[in-house]
Amino acid sequence: MAADWPDKDDHELLALLQAGSHHAFAALVRRHTERFYRLAYRFVQSRESAEDIVQDAFLKLWEEPGRWQPERNAKFTTWFYRVVVNLCLDWKKKKRPVPLDEEMPLPDERETVDAAMIRAEEEKILEIEIADLPDRQRAALNLCFAEGFSNQEAAEVMGLNLKALQSLIMRAKATLRERMKGRM
Amino acid sequence: MSDAHGEKLDEMLKSRRIEPAGTELAERIILKAESLPQNHTIPPSEWIRRLFAEFHLPRPAYVVAGALIFGILVGLYNPLDTATDDSDPVYLQSFLYADEEAL
Repeated sequence: MAADWPDKDDHELLALLQAGSHHAFAALVRRHTERFYRLAYRFVQSRESAEDIVQDAFLKLWEEPGRWQPERNAKFTTWFYRVVVNLCLDWKKKKRPVPLDEEMPLPDERETVDAAMIRAEEEKILEIEIADLPDRQRAALNLCFAEGFSNQEAAEVMGLNLKALQSLIMRAKATLRERMKGRM
Repeated sequence: MSDAHGEKLDEMLKSRRIEPAGTELAERIILKAESLPQNHTIPPSEWIRRLFAEFHLPRPAYVVAGALIFGILVGLYNPLDTATDDSDPVYLQSFLYADEEAL
């Protein structure tokens, strides 16, 4: 589609957006919706909520394009990841996620016949444990493992120094290891 | 926990599944934005930056302005000793009759 403007980078599109170009906004949305949805989904574990969060983030950008200040932010995606992470954290404050069933049956010896089922169960348990981590640890984990960010990039998104981010990841993994003990 | 378990955890963290977004999510966002007006309010920090940018002068102008201000200040605090004071009769007399001595 011509409006996708593959020849224009994010910063050029944002400059056009700030001048009121809806086409530039559309190009930006088509280019990045999927990745920001993935990030939001990992936080909220709900398709509807993740879609709402991504929509809110983009509509805020459209309504107030002055929020993007190129001289203060090196990269659009880094800045926008931060916007989405903040919206996810706000969402969590407003609405506690529905607690997943703690009585969920754990795979026992009889179930090992179906490896796929066990794996699915393990994944469910992992999601429960990740959802239970402190916000910042979860954010760090999502950025580094799910989104494939380097530690440095994730630190930039979260506004932390590298050591603080590494510490968050170490603590998150240690907690998960402890809680998943005997369950995988 | 053994290294094998640690590796398995890493692998699981990397391969977490997600429910795909609705196919038209991007289009929905674009469509919704069409009905929303853009608000071009400038954040306060940007407003202040622009305000100072308005008053930006080239460096020579700052030097001239600085010199003028300095001059005015010096003038205010150090009034000229040569300023005449008409109310001083002695000074006035010596001025009026100065030439007569020569005669």
